[in-house]
Parts: sequence; C-alpha cells; structure tokens
Amino acid sequence: MKIGKKWLATLALTVGVGLLVSACGAGGQQASGGGSGAAAGDSKVYVVGTDAAYPPFEKMEADKITGFDIEVVQAVADAAGFKIEVKNTGWDPLFDGIDKGNVDLGISAVTITDERKQKYDFSDPYFEANQLILLPEGTSVTKLADLKGKKIGVQSATTGEQVVKKAFGDTYEGIKGYDDTPSAVDDFFVGRVDAVVADNAVLQDYAKKMKDRKFKLIKDDSFEVEHYGIIVKKGNADLLNKINQGMKTIKENGKLKEINDKYFGQ
Amino acid sequence: MGLDWSVVYDYRELFIRGVWNTVLLTTVAVICGTILGLFIGLGKLSDKIYLKAPAAIYVELFRGTPLFLQILLIHTAVIPGIWGLFFPEAKVPEALFSGFVALTLNAAAYIAEIFRAGIQSIDPGQMEAARSLGMTKGMAMRLITIPQAFLRMLPALGNEFIALLKDSSLLAIIATPELGYAAFNVAKNTFERFPPYLTSGAIYLVLTLFLSRVVVRGLEKRYTPK
Repeated sequence: MKIGKKWLATLALTVGVGLLVSACGAGGQQASGGGSGAAAGDSKVYVVGTDAAYPPFEKMEADKITGFDIEVVQAVADAAGFKIEVKNTGWDPLFDGIDKGNVDLGISAVTITDERKQKYDFSDPYFEANQLILLPEGTSVTKLADLKGKKIGVQSATTGEQVVKKAFGDTYEGIKGYDDTPSAVDDFFVGRVDAVVADNAVLQDYAKKMKDRKFKLIKDDSFEVEHYGIIVKKGNADLLNKINQGMKTIKENGKLKEINDKYFGQ
Repeated sequence: MGLDWSVVYDYRELFIRGVWNTVLLTTVAVICGTILGLFIGLGKLSDKIYLKAPAAIYVELFRGTPLFLQILLIHTAVIPGIWGLFFPEAKVPEALFSGFVALTLNAAAYIAEIFRAGIQSIDPGQMEAARSLGMTKGMAMRLITIPQAFLRMLPALGNEFIALLKDSSLLAIIATPELGYAAFNVAKNTFERFPPYLTSGAIYLVLTLFLSRVVVRGLEKRYTPK
C-alpha cells in the first residue's frame, strides 16, 4: 500500500513537471517565432484561417494543410512580400476569429456574397465556381425545381444551401444541413438524401474518387456563377491592399493559372 | 454590440420542429433505454457468466466511449451496414432513427448501472424473506426487490433523463433536425451566434426543469409510500 502511494505521488509529480516544462517550451517557441519575424522586412506574421476539410481547396495531409487555396494564399503572400502562418480553424471559428482579431485573413473557398460583404471585406476574386446537383444515375430530374418535396443534402451555410433555400424557402423541411460536404455525399450514397447540392470542384473531386459508384452530376442554369475571395476584417484596408496587390501579380505572371491547372486541369 | 434576435423568429419553424424532435427522441430513448437497461443491469447481477460477461462488456463499451463517436459510428457505419444486409432494396432510415438507436444504447449502459446499484441497495433479507414465503427467485425480484429499488433509483434515473435530453443536441452533427441542429444551423447561416444559442439554451433549460420538477418529482411523490 505504501509503495503504491509513493508510486502514485511520483507519477503525479512527473506529470506535473512535464506539463510545466512543455508549457514553458510552448511559450518560448512563440516568443522566438515573433523574434524571427521581426528580423524580416514586414514584422508581422499574418495568421491565415481555413477550414481544412474541403478538398481539393483545403485539406489536412498528415499534419500539413494543403490544397488549392493554401497554394494561392502562399503565392499571394510571396508576391506581396508578407509572411503568413496557416491555421486550421474550422469554418465557424474562422469567421469568429476574424471578428475577434485572432485570425487576420481567411481563405476557405469562401464565395463572395452581398450578405457576407456586409460583415467582412473581400479581396478580388481568385476562383470561379458553380453549384452542381448530385443525383442517382437513372433520375428524371433535370433541374433543382424538380426536387421539390425531396430531401436534399447540403453543407450548412454554404452557397449550395443558399440556392436550395432560395428555391424552396429558408425552413424547407427537406434541407439537411451537414457540417461538411462529404457527410452529405455519404448519406446520399446510402440513400438518406435524394440529392446533394454543392460546389462543382468538390463534387467533381469526389466523382473522381468514386468511379465505381453510380451517380450523375447536373448543372442547373439558374445557378449563378460564384467567385471565391479572401476575407479580412471589415475596414482592414492595409492588409486588403497588400492581398489585392499580390493577387494582381500572380494573375499577371501566370502563377494563379499554374496552380489552377495543377488542381483542376485535365 | 447589438444582437439580432429576429433571426430566431425568421427560423422559428426550425426551432419548433427541433423542440418536437428533441422531446420525441428523448422520450423514446428513455423508454427503450430503461427497458434495455433493466435487462442489462439484471444481467450484470446474474451468477451465470454467459449473462454477466456480455452485460459487463456492454456497459464498459458504451459508458467508456464518447456518445459523439457512438452517434457517428452508428449513423455512418452500423445502421447502413445492418440495413443493407437485411433490406438491400430499402432506403436506409434517416438520422432521426440513428439518433434513437444511439441515445437508447448509450442510455441503457448508464441505466443498467443505476438498476444494479438500486437492486443491490435493497437488504438481502428482503429476498430471503420472500424466498422463505415460497416465492421463486424471479417472483421475489419482480414483486419485492425491483419495486423498492425503483423508488431509490428515481433521482438517479431523473439525472440520466436530463443528461439524455441535453446530449441529444450532439445529434446535430449527423443533421438530425432536433433543437441543437436548429441552433447550429441558424448560427452558421446568419453569422448571429448568441441569439440562436441562447434561445436553444433557454428551451433546453425549460425542458429539463419540466422534466425534473414535474415528471421526476411527480413520480417520486406518487411512488413514495405514505
């Protein structure tokens, strides 16, 4: 019994000291990170927030965040001469972080909409997207309106959800708002929803991976073309100018097209 | 900072549907979970290893892993898998069904332990007395031990029901249209976070207060011997 208690005390002490050391270590790292940034031309390292669960735009590869958006924002930062640190914040905390100032800029396949423009400032667009409808192979559906009364899977708070709401109303019972698009597609393949409405690039990326599954992708001509932009806090003109300047550079020197071809070329 | 409460009104249908589904989910899960929990609890008390071991494993599994993961697993793997096996042509049931199953299975593990503790708290002399009157073991359990144990279990069961009502909000992740989903969806869509979260919080509070004051206390009053 005595030995047992001693052993427990030792364990507690080890864990406690370990926590303390690692806490100090983390603090030290942060401080040194800030120091090296100061040595460069632009002292600030801008925090880029993203929801890294939206391939091919952004995804986690082991512990690294990769994807189309990440390469674009890196190219923009390089061209404009500022430093960035990409963080996987998730979708909601991305916007919340921008509100609170923990996140300086956000890139996460964010479509430029009037509603969002009222709350955030957008950079010039860097990508053009449109919505597609994922349907069973033998379907007679040819447009979104044909899906009235059916269950439609979408990712919550995306433009995919918005087009469905626009067609059938904000509280249409058939809308199933998932936290991410893959969950909606999963439920489509087991038959829980009759269709999925989502961005073309994401659905096509899925289509590539699921060649053996039977499905059909339909474009509804009433869907407006969308543009993705980088968001910053409303009124942060200084950072927005830098981003737009970098964006202009990579559009002109062909870097943006190069990244685009890498991800979406045939 | 102004809060835009109108978003809650605009999406009131989602909240109303959410409250209905939350109440429905919790009620069904409580009833099924209590029945299942009773048998598992009795299983844990059994002398027979082939009853005791599975019951013990069940409790440890469902009590020892997060409900969140159980929901995801049941919804995305277990139900489509089992359904596909038995009804290959039929449509897989919706998230509401996955929600019932996950909550019931999870609640049963906790309720089994509540039953076990309740039954063990009854003086063994009661059982001996019943047996000496000529009752079988099953009869004594059913007529003497369980009714007394049930009374002692009521506060703990009330706790579990309240926990279950709140935990049903985790089903938002699989798009079950319950109250948590309504809040999550409105917050995501309107960028207004506090009004929908506070509204759903207030509704959960009203529901749990009703459950503890009216249902649980009412049951306790009713079954307490005068």
